[in-house]
Amino acid sequence: MKRRLLAVLVVLACTLLAATAGAYAGKEATTTLTMWSYDNQDPGLEPVLKQLSKEFEKSHPGVKINLVFKSFNDLVGTVPRALASGSGPDVTEGNQGYQTDAQLVKAKLILPLTKYVKKYGWDKLYAPSTWGMFRWTPDGKQFGKGPVWGIAQTGQNIVAFMNRKKLIVAGVNPNKLPTTFAGFERMLAQLRAKLPDDDPVIFAGNKEGYGFIHLFGGIWGAHVKAQSVRNWIYHVPGSRYDTPGTIKALGRLQAWGKAGYFNDDFNAVGNDASAGEFAKGKGAMWIGGDWDSTIIREGLGAKNVVVMPVPPGPSGVWTSIGGLSGPWHISAKTKYPDLGAEWLNYVITSPRAKALMYANQQIPSDRRAKAPKGDPYLAQVTKAFQLVANDDGLLLYTDWASPSMYTTLQNQFQLLLAGRQTPAGMAKAVQDDWTKFDKTLGS
Amino acid sequence: MADEDLADAARPDPVAPGASRRRRRGGAGRAPGDPRNVAWLYVLPGLAFYVLFTLAPLLHTVYYSLFDWDGLTEKTWVGLANYSEALRDGVLRDAFLHSGILIVYYAVLPVIIGLMLTAALTRSAIRGFRFFRTTLFLPQLIAGVVIAQAWIWIYATDGPLNRFLELIGLGSLTRPWLGDFTWALPSIGAIGSWVTFGLCMVLFIAGVQKIPTSLYDAARVDGAGAVREFFAVTLPGLHNEILVAFVLTTINALRNFDVVYNTTAGGPGGETMVPSMYMYQNAFLYNRVGYAAAIATVLAIAIFILAAIVLRVGDRSERT
Repeated sequence: MKRRLLAVLVVLACTLLAATAGAYAGKEATTTLTMWSYDNQDPGLEPVLKQLSKEFEKSHPGVKINLVFKSFNDLVGTVPRALASGSGPDVTEGNQGYQTDAQLVKAKLILPLTKYVKKYGWDKLYAPSTWGMFRWTPDGKQFGKGPVWGIAQTGQNIVAFMNRKKLIVAGVNPNKLPTTFAGFERMLAQLRAKLPDDDPVIFAGNKEGYGFIHLFGGIWGAHVKAQSVRNWIYHVPGSRYDTPGTIKALGRLQAWGKAGYFNDDFNAVGNDASAGEFAKGKGAMWIGGDWDSTIIREGLGAKNVVVMPVPPGPSGVWTSIGGLSGPWHISAKTKYPDLGAEWLNYVITSPRAKALMYANQQIPSDRRAKAPKGDPYLAQVTKAFQLVANDDGLLLYTDWASPSMYTTLQNQFQLLLAGRQTPAGMAKAVQDDWTKFDKTLGS
Repeated sequence: MADEDLADAARPDPVAPGASRRRRRGGAGRAPGDPRNVAWLYVLPGLAFYVLFTLAPLLHTVYYSLFDWDGLTEKTWVGLANYSEALRDGVLRDAFLHSGILIVYYAVLPVIIGLMLTAALTRSAIRGFRFFRTTLFLPQLIAGVVIAQAWIWIYATDGPLNRFLELIGLGSLTRPWLGDFTWALPSIGAIGSWVTFGLCMVLFIAGVQKIPTSLYDAARVDGAGAVREFFAVTLPGLHNEILVAFVLTTINALRNFDVVYNTTAGGPGGETMVPSMYMYQNAFLYNRVGYAAAIATVLAIAIFILAAIVLRVGDRSERT
């Protein structure tokens, strides 16, 4: 009896010892970096990040990359508190604008990247004006000024995808598409006249509320200067939303709705889902994010799709809502900031990263990247982005302008398109939201 | 000694509370093991949990509501400024108005439907009674998120509801229900009615079984028909159950979050915004934790007042 007890004790002691030793050995052998990302839509950048991280682990023995994917809302809603707790990610995506990034900067939860911009020559990646979306004064109040706090992987652009067969049926020559906004509106009218009544000209999906925030960009940019839009988002003093140009543009969108260009259930259809419906042959056009180009390509076939931004107004400058993908940040509490920066450099700037992004229909944010030859569809998507980027016409995302701007715009666009709000009334409501928040920023 | 005390405390006291107090006071003073002190020991675990997980967070919320705070950086004391803003906030006012409409769907309709079903199910023996009772109660057991997903499908443009309307020749009525300005709120209300009427029904069926059958016999001897019997015997007999059902469902209606968040998120154009959704937006999207806490406090007070009114009105109707 006694001997058995002794044996049990010895075994127990040995197990405990081995476990402790193992834990120690494990701790010394590997450095684990945790990264949070929301770029896993359909499938987005997920396969690219996974493959690149595997390769990074191979070239850095003893380093383990722990990639965690969350939905956009889940990540943005939890990342400030996770970082503050100290047990959050080492490297994470945030979101440009006052809702998320301003918070992270103000609460000193992320590091400025100045040191790494210099070390890796990141300044050559984007045009100087593009860097504004990553700049904040350290108090988190001034947007577009101060040090750089983030860096992004891909370019994003709202463009028009058109169904080539339907253009031809309606008498539009897909090889000679309009290059002015007026011409574009004439084409929409022609499509409406020629298409069957139950087939919308533009298949829209606005369930989440961003569908029309995005779609409006092309119309907006044809009526106002791109820089004035960006200034308004950055809260440059004196900027306004309720200008004659914006009100006129809102009137055009409302007129498109009244003319029956959209499917009448747009408020009940998700945005990605609407791209899926367009890919199945509904509507002649879909205006939305180029990150959905894979769904459309797979549905309609690469040869049956024409891609272009909504053409410019009298100024001749190509514009669209767009910018760069979510900003990557390094946690202020990580033990390995340099290693985190090295990983970022690898997944964003290496030739291998760019090749993998193109292979997954994603446009690298590096403006020097060239699309691979022999893929006309990808070339169209890339050209549409560069057309706008080179004209300095990226309008950024309107909802960055205040923490409540997303909800305000969502409600106002829904009211506008239901005919329950006038263009001037909407412009005033949006400007009021901006002004209310602007007052909290002080001067 | 201690054992005796325990036994004493556990025994139901036949004397009224006031009387027992006098009797014990008349004894040899209050001993350390006095039953009243032991009673505190019994409620201690429950009380500790209540204070720790309900009362403390509640007071904490009230405390936060006095600050301008983003949830991360320094708090700034603003006194009652959040409350005065809440009183002037048009969005919050609309949200409470929507909640008021939802009470009709979450409380009034389910109680009426529940009463009708109870009358139907208890008046005569129905084959498969247990099956109906279980099936009609089932929605209560399903998580709100799942319910929301199921109804999104039912309400979809090419979903079963619209298909059915087309089938019976009412194609002109089809619409994207949850995306429609006029119909989004009633559509959410209908989900609430569907979820809560089963709870009311089960409460009422249980209540009916406590009503002495002699009352029904008497009513029948007096020549009462089904309707008369319902109003003269069943309805008064269910007084307490109806009260409980009203309080539970009204609270449900006011704190509705999961169904709204998952179906419309407050849209279209703010037509289905409810207080708890607005509170969530302020706390987690607008970084206004202080204001969100003020909304939460206002909502808690509103629920408290409404529940008190329902109980008071119920009490009075019983006395008369």
